[in-house]
Amino acid sequence: MIVGEQKPIAEIKAIIAPYKKILIMGCGTCVKTCFAGGEDEVAVLASALRLACKKDGQDIEIEEITVERQCEDEFIQEGAPAVSRNEAVLSLACGAGVQALARRFVKTPALPGVNTTFIGVLEKQGVFTEECSGCGNCGLAVFGGICPVTRCAKKLLNGPCGGSQNGKCEVNPDTDCAWQLIIERLRILGQMDNLRIYIPPKNWQPSLSGGPRKMVREDHMI
Amino acid sequence: MTENFKPKITLFHCINAFGDADELALNGKDTCEIQTVKMACSSMVKDVFLLRAFEAGADGVVVLVCPEGQCRFLEGNIRAKKRVAWVQNLLDEIGLDGRRLSLGNMAAGDNAAADQTINNLLKNLAEVGPNPAV
Repeated sequence: MIVGEQKPIAEIKAIIAPYKKILIMGCGTCVKTCFAGGEDEVAVLASALRLACKKDGQDIEIEEITVERQCEDEFIQEGAPAVSRNEAVLSLACGAGVQALARRFVKTPALPGVNTTFIGVLEKQGVFTEECSGCGNCGLAVFGGICPVTRCAKKLLNGPCGGSQNGKCEVNPDTDCAWQLIIERLRILGQMDNLRIYIPPKNWQPSLSGGPRKMVREDHMI
Repeated sequence: MTENFKPKITLFHCINAFGDADELALNGKDTCEIQTVKMACSSMVKDVFLLRAFEAGADGVVVLVCPEGQCRFLEGNIRAKKRVAWVQNLLDEIGLDGRRLSLGNMAAGDNAAADQTINNLLKNLAEVGPNPAV
C-alpha cells in the first residue's frame, strides 16, 4: 500500500488560510490503513482545525467526507455535491488522489493534507516499512522475495557490501542488512545458486525518470 | 485566571473504575462544572471525542481509567493513555495547551484518586485559563 503521513497542523493551516469554506476529503484505502487520511483522521483534523481557527479568531466552515478511493473517478464523483458547496478541497489522499480531484474538479483548488512517502507494508502494529521503489523491473524472483533496490541502502544487486555488523546496515544501524536477509531467505528456499546469477547494471528507464510513466492496456479499452 | 472563572470539565470515565460523578467530593462545589461521559472501557476514548469535548465548550477534559494491569479488557487503559498523549500533543500544536487534558488511573471506588486528578487539572486550568476556542 501507499504510506503517507499527515502534514503538520501549522502547515495545513497555512495552506487553507485563503479559504473560508473547505471540504476535507479522506480516502478509505491506503491512507486509512496507515492512519493518515481515513474517515477517523478527517474527523480529527476537522475538529483540530476548527479549534485552531476559532482560537485565532478566523472564520472557517469545514465539511467532511470520505470516499472509498480518491484515485478513481467513479468514487470521487460521489463527492461532487460536497465539492461544489466549498471553496477548496483539502485532500487527505496520496498525491495521486489529490491530482485526481484536481483533474475532475477543475475550478476547485485541490490541496494536499498528506505527504505521500512510500510503497510499503505494515511490519508490525503501528510500524510501516518501505518495501518497494516501483523500479519497473522486478527481480524479486532472484532475490528470494526481498528487494535490494529498496531495502539495501546502496542498492547493490550482486551481493553485500561487507560493511554490515550483526545483520545491521552500516549506513543506518537501525536497518537490517537487506543482503543478509536475502541470503538467509535463499538458504531456506534452497536457492543459494541464485547468488551466482550476475545482475547487470540496472536499467532505470522503467523507473521514475524522464517524466510520468504510463501503462496502457488496450484489451481493456473500448 | 479571572476570579469568576469556573471551569467546565468533561469527564470521560470507564464504568469499571468509577461509578457516579455524584460521589466526587468536588461535585456540587463551586469549583467547576462537570459533565460525564460513561464508557464500557476507557479504550472507547477516541481522539475525536476528546477534541469534540473542547469544541462543545469544555475548558478541560479528564479521562479516568483503571490502573495499569487491572483493565478487565486487558489493554484498554493503555490505549486510552496513548490516545490522550496523542491529543495532548495535538492541543499543544494548535495552541490550546495540552495541559487542558489529563488522564488519571484509579482503582474501582477510589474516588479520592478521581478528586486528586480533577484537582490537578483545575490547577492547570488556573494557569492556562478558559478555552480560547469557545
